[in-house]
Amino acid sequence: MGAFLELKEVHKAYFLHGKRIDVLRGVSLDIEKGELVSLVGASGSGKSTFLHVVGTLDAPAAGTMRYQGRSVFDMNDAELAEYRNRTIGFVFQSHYLLPEFTAAENVAMPALIQRQDRVMSLRRAKELLERVGLGARVEHRPGELSGGESQRVALARALMLAPSLLLADEPTGNLDPTTGEGIHQLLREVNRDLGLTAVVVTHNEVLAQSMPRRLRLLDGRVQAA
Amino acid sequence: MTSWRAPLLTVGGLLAAAGLGFIGYGLYRADTIAMAAGSTANFTVGWGVLLQSWFSAQWVLRFHDFRSAMAAVEHEGVRGVARGIPHVWGGLAVWFAGWAVIAAGIRRKPDEAEGPSAAVGAPLYPPLARFQDFHWGTLGAYCGGIFAAQLVLVFGYLASVKMLPQIGAFLLCLSAGGLIAFAGGFFGAANSKRLSTPEATIAVLYAGLPIPIFLTLLHQQPAMALLSIFDERELLAVRSLFHEVMFLSSLLGDNMPALGYWLVYGFLVLVLVLGINLGFVATSSGRVDLRLSYELFVASRHVSVFRPRLIGGVLITLLFIVVPPLLLYAIATAANAAVEMTRIQKLGLKDPLKAAAALNLLKAKRQGPTAMMTALSVGGVGVGVMALIIVLSVMSGFELDLQQKILGTNAHGVVMKYAGEAMPEYPEVMKKIGGVKGIVGQTPFILNEVMVATEGNIAGSMIKGIDPKTVGSVTDLPRYMQTGSLEGLTDPSKIVAPRLAPLNEPALDDAPTEKKKPELLRDPLIEEAPHDAPDSAKLPGLVLGKEMANSLRVTVGDRVNVVSPLGSELGPQGPMPKSRPFRVAGIFYSGMFEYDSKFVYISIDEAQSFFGLKGVNGVEVKVDDIDDTRRIMKAVRDVLDGYPYRTKDWGEMNANLFAALRLEKLVMGIILSIIIVVAAGLIVATVIMLVLEKRKEIAVLKALGVSDGGIVKIFLTEGLQIGIVGSVLGLISGLVWCLFIEKYGIKLDPQVYYIPALPVRIEPFQTALSVVIAVLISFLASIYPALKASQVEPVEGLKAE
Ligand SMILES: Nc1ncnc2c1ncn2[C@@H]1O[C@H](COP(=O)(O)OP(=O)(O)O)[C@@H](O)[C@H]1O
Ligand SMILES: [Mg+2]
Repeated sequence: MGAFLELKEVHKAYFLHGKRIDVLRGVSLDIEKGELVSLVGASGSGKSTFLHVVGTLDAPAAGTMRYQGRSVFDMNDAELAEYRNRTIGFVFQSHYLLPEFTAAENVAMPALIQRQDRVMSLRRAKELLERVGLGARVEHRPGELSGGESQRVALARALMLAPSLLLADEPTGNLDPTTGEGIHQLLREVNRDLGLTAVVVTHNEVLAQSMPRRLRLLDGRVQAA
Repeated sequence: MTSWRAPLLTVGGLLAAAGLGFIGYGLYRADTIAMAAGSTANFTVGWGVLLQSWFSAQWVLRFHDFRSAMAAVEHEGVRGVARGIPHVWGGLAVWFAGWAVIAAGIRRKPDEAEGPSAAVGAPLYPPLARFQDFHWGTLGAYCGGIFAAQLVLVFGYLASVKMLPQIGAFLLCLSAGGLIAFAGGFFGAANSKRLSTPEATIAVLYAGLPIPIFLTLLHQQPAMALLSIFDERELLAVRSLFHEVMFLSSLLGDNMPALGYWLVYGFLVLVLVLGINLGFVATSSGRVDLRLSYELFVASRHVSVFRPRLIGGVLITLLFIVVPPLLLYAIATAANAAVEMTRIQKLGLKDPLKAAAALNLLKAKRQGPTAMMTALSVGGVGVGVMALIIVLSVMSGFELDLQQKILGTNAHGVVMKYAGEAMPEYPEVMKKIGGVKGIVGQTPFILNEVMVATEGNIAGSMIKGIDPKTVGSVTDLPRYMQTGSLEGLTDPSKIVAPRLAPLNEPALDDAPTEKKKPELLRDPLIEEAPHDAPDSAKLPGLVLGKEMANSLRVTVGDRVNVVSPLGSELGPQGPMPKSRPFRVAGIFYSGMFEYDSKFVYISIDEAQSFFGLKGVNGVEVKVDDIDDTRRIMKAVRDVLDGYPYRTKDWGEMNANLFAALRLEKLVMGIILSIIIVVAAGLIVATVIMLVLEKRKEIAVLKALGVSDGGIVKIFLTEGLQIGIVGSVLGLISGLVWCLFIEKYGIKLDPQVYYIPALPVRIEPFQTALSVVIAVLISFLASIYPALKASQVEPVEGLKAE
């Protein structure tokens, strides 16, 4: 059995106006369980694309990816949905909360999608919100939260089902340094407490340096930084 | 990438059109348009080619060799073929040339020269490798489904109708066919895990359509459609078989034999589509999951139709016909705004913070465009269902009213002999009939056509000899008597001329007074009574309807002449119509114009002597359960050992009338369903708006682990919620309206409608059907937007900032 997450020869290109943009040109990478990885790279180098492919939100053109030995790209729609639901937790640059639902409902959504009991899920969601310091914002809608608060709700949502892989795409990119530092602190905490594996894309050099393993995306390939 | 060259396309298109024109002209010259149309219809629908070849082979086989077959074709009236042939061939050539030019106008652009990518040699992304645009298995399932469904329907019906009653057999086979179509759709979609629209289109057009086309051709151009695989006699048999299959059409009347089958076909296609959808929803994500939990949660937050304001508003709008509630709403909101604003202003002077909060609350209450659209769609569906229920109930009311009137004046069934033979042995016959279970009354009758004449007026009529003692056990005639009575038929001395008490007359008769006036005036002016008083007292009695009495201007005690063209007497210049005087013994009013203006009753003895008849024409019977008449009449027939006796029930006697009514109801139903279809259009627009609005949310949901099937389910439920809420509101308001019409009535002009108020009859089945159809249409309407929603790529949605 190979690594926890194993990518081989992953290629991805966009076609625009008849021109090909090679974004990923054979990314090969192993990530071990419990690793906290930072990914840096120039703007437009393909960091988001890489995370999307790993999170199966975007289809690559070629390559293989194994999660705990299972070939992810071979899964059908239901299995992919389940992979995203149980294995992956996403945090994006914007919070992407669902505007019709309260903070607690947003956090509980992954469990609801799994058809878990609504009351139980909401209870757990409230605990998570307290943990990220938002115990007083449980019934607020996303429109009634600040950027930093929303991002913390999004983090709580990503942690709802205790995923084994957290993918964070510039989670602090839209936040001021102090708020950003709070989020980073949280990330490190959950990594330490829950032992989850995380790949964090960031522009923040300080944060990148503070991660045990540092990667850089250059010319469509991932290298150690 | 393809590039199009417009000039070539235009020229090619024109050429092809000209070619078609030539072909048409050639066919016209050859006088073979009809035949060509028939064969083209067969050819264009795919396996029609096979059918046609098989027919042709049969044709050839029948005549042993090709030449005599062709000779037979010549003989069949295709003599002019030679005249059109050059034009047809020329036209074909031009037509193909046109297509060639069009093809030349479409070119594939060469790929831009670019080096091989870095990915050469890497393993292809598996879904890319698996990608398949067309699934033969799915095509097979769809085709098999729609084709087998029809075969089962047609042949199953033909087989089971021998054992079951028509409706039972039809419903049984329709359900079986529907099940097969559904299964075909379900498994086809499950096989491809997509909706597979191209496959479905091909199936519906190529495997499904030929059968209804074939059946229609069978009726329009029997010889053409079957191309002589059957001889004349077989053809007739086959036609009548198919006619039976088109059970619906026999209900709809004889003028539209194929309509019934087309409706059935439409139903099967609908069921197929339903099956495809459920199959797709259930299995698209690789696993059957029809549960709705978070899907409903998300959907109800998206459309939020279950708001008391929306539901109450729509219901009130439907109940009080749109305009008053809207007006009320406008007034209320204006007043509310004025009050709120002044309140907030005042508040603002005291506590700005509270005022700001109040203002915020006010703004939050204002609804967005999607909420408006939702309300509109709910209202649209509601209006459709309501209109459908009201109109169909009123039409059912008319039908019931008509049926009651027919059953009041008509017997439930009659027993007669073939060829209208007289029935002198009727006492024995009646004894036998009386023993049949379910018969509750019977009376003998004689029926003939005569003219009824007074001085200056004449009216054609049906004269019926009745037995006044027993006629009441079969029809409501005694109850319908307005003036005089049936006793006067047998005992002329019982006839009481109302002119002795003329003041009573208007009170007894509710006809408009001006119509009555001539009679009232006539009494004192033209004193007829003295000169025919002595013998007119002995004249036999006759009862006629109110309308006829009005048009003949006679009343009880007046003398009328009955003239029969049949029982002619020999006069000085050869045969003369027989004429006999009668005295009006009574006037009846049944409320059915046809009877009140046409029917005249005399006693059976008088009728026998007048028409020189021994016995009677037949026996009328009344049964205990009118819905069971057909079976009871069959029992009567069995008791009488069939021939020469025959029976008819009320349905058969008025078959055309009821068929016309039902056709009218169906057409009304179809027309009104268009309202629902329009409402469905609103649903499509609403859900599409929702999908566009929620692109980002869809992407997020997918990232959180909702499968494509889940997204489809979310948006299907959104459309379905609108449909269900709208239908239920329409149902409630429709029923309320029906009850209102029934209770308080909408008065009709009795001169025009011959019915005092709009009749209403709520039929549970047809009401439920309206609701089910509306819900189904809403469901189908939301399929397309739901699919679009599921196709939103997560990355695209996440980028849509
Ligand atoms: N849908 C798309 N179509 C065409 N090009 C795209 C698309 N999405 C991303 N790209 C291109 O791919 C490259 C990588 O994008 P991205 O992964 O978002 O970069 P990063 O996150 O590193 O800033 C960029 O050059 C961008 O222009
Ligand atoms: Mg990015």
